Amino acid sequence: MIDWGWLADHVPALLYRTGQHLYLAAIAVAVGLAISLALGVLAARHRRLVPPFTFVADLVYTIPSIALFAALVVVVGLSVLTAEVPLVLYTLVILFRNVVAGFDAVPPDVRDAADAMSYSGTARLVRVELPLAVPLIAAGVRVAAVSTIGLVTISALLGDAFGGLGFFIFEGARRGFATEIYAGAIPTILLALAADRLFVRVQAWLTPWERRAQAEVVPG
Amino acid sequence: MPDSRAATVEFDHVTKRYDRAPEAEGTPGAVEDLSLAVPAGRICVLVGPSGCGKTTSLRVVNRLIDPTRGRVLIDGVDVASRDLVELRRGIGYVIQQVGLFPHQTIGENVATVPRLLGWPAGRRRERAEELLTLVGLDPAAYRDRYPAELSGGERQRVGVARALAADPPILLMDEPFGAVDPIVRERLQNELLRLQETLAKTILFVTHDIDEAIKMGDLVAVMATGGHLLQYGPPAEILARPASPFVAQFVGTDRGLKRLSLARVAELPLRPAITARPGDPAGPARERILADPFPYLLLVDDLDRPIGWLDQRTLPAEGALTAASAIPMSPLFDRRTTLKDALSMLLDADVQAGVLVDRDRRTRGIVTAGMVADWFRANAGGELAVTVGAMDRSAAAAVRA
Repeated sequence: MIDWGWLADHVPALLYRTGQHLYLAAIAVAVGLAISLALGVLAARHRRLVPPFTFVADLVYTIPSIALFAALVVVVGLSVLTAEVPLVLYTLVILFRNVVAGFDAVPPDVRDAADAMSYSGTARLVRVELPLAVPLIAAGVRVAAVSTIGLVTISALLGDAFGGLGFFIFEGARRGFATEIYAGAIPTILLALAADRLFVRVQAWLTPWERRAQAEVVPG
Repeated sequence: MPDSRAATVEFDHVTKRYDRAPEAEGTPGAVEDLSLAVPAGRICVLVGPSGCGKTTSLRVVNRLIDPTRGRVLIDGVDVASRDLVELRRGIGYVIQQVGLFPHQTIGENVATVPRLLGWPAGRRRERAEELLTLVGLDPAAYRDRYPAELSGGERQRVGVARALAADPPILLMDEPFGAVDPIVRERLQNELLRLQETLAKTILFVTHDIDEAIKMGDLVAVMATGGHLLQYGPPAEILARPASPFVAQFVGTDRGLKRLSLARVAELPLRPAITARPGDPAGPARERILADPFPYLLLVDDLDRPIGWLDQRTLPAEGALTAASAIPMSPLFDRRTTLKDALSMLLDADVQAGVLVDRDRRTRGIVTAGMVADWFRANAGGELAVTVGAMDRSAAAAVRA
């Protein structure tokens, strides 16, 4: 059923592809988060920007990933950008919405109090609004990381230099070799699960006040 | 540190209009040509129904709202001409929902303005502890907790501590005790009044509760929907001489009784207690209490602190007095207890008298329900009688018609 010999021979390649997989996914999520934060801050200041931003992000999401990868090869040629641009665009749908929701979740009385205590706009954003938006932003990053880890496999379409673990999936499919498909698919799933757990931890670590609030019920 | 001296606040023909109709709950009310002056170090309560513009008026002071017309002057200086940051650091702000930062500990919350002012960490921590103690929270127990771990009343104390952090001359309080239960509210009100005795801030206090207004205010401004100021004056004057039927209706038909909450035990004639100590011979003590119209002997300790009451009917003719048969202590009052509180405690007590004590709990005299009633007849009863009489006449007129 499984060709253990093939696996033993390909340990270095498996490790290399796992590293590449994480690298492609991490860049996509990091860049997506940076763009979403910038757009989210802008949208928090100018509410009327939210619907058009959301619309564009949703529109991008409706484009099939295979089509987007293929189209980009035509437009920008083959480079790491060709893989990253679609991955980043797909994270925006999740991340932008969550950043906006995160800022919306800041209680109005907290904003009011910050203003009354002479916080400037930037200080209020950094010291008050951003920390309070962290739970929703972190939840977004978690979902984006999981979905991006899945999507990275598709970038194998661009050629052998891309795809991370997806390389094995596509090559295995082409050769009709089940072991190689498993060798790509199973680690991908494990990576996604690990990323999910990791960001649950990160969120808890970033928001100690939330944990303490749940842990303790204080009598009046 | 900003100047801690209290400041005067003056509204000079302040008008705020909103384009949209003020229909929904929570929309700020408009203000129409508001002029009033708050002397330094006094509590001015803005009171009125929802939508009367009282919150808007408050927020014009620290420029969370800019007026359509008119000015607000602090110590004679137009707030619009002041630097916004510097202005706000000199004005403490307390709101009903408190607005504590959920992600910061209580200590960090209290030290917010000192941090913005760039105080070093050590001094900030010291100030936070000092303030937590001031509002009755043990710094060791509360400093490192998060707001979500506190009860509503505790959070509101933290809110007050935070507002006081940089010792601002002015405090704005928007329904600060509106979200806590009545017992906690009562306690917080009393504590604020106690604090104010030493702090002497200029406080603008917004409420919709006329009882709270009367209790808290040195001055009360009654406002009506549309942002009109109907009457401005000391609470006793508002109760005694409402300027319009609306004010009379707003302060309520029990305004005679409400005046009880303005008078304090200190205003009653001092009535010495007949006291004795455990171990004193019973005979002479019995003679003294039989000669007094009030039938209970007050047992006190060596420092004159009250222990309990001895009924004259059950006093032995000889032997020594003991605390064993004493009726447990009824209410203790100090000079600042309001007659309203005193009366309500007296009506609950087994012995219809309370003991007036000083700061060290030493007995100064007794207060009976009868004494409160006498004060009421002499001071507030007349007007109440007039009110009742007028109501009787209008009722009679209605019957005739």
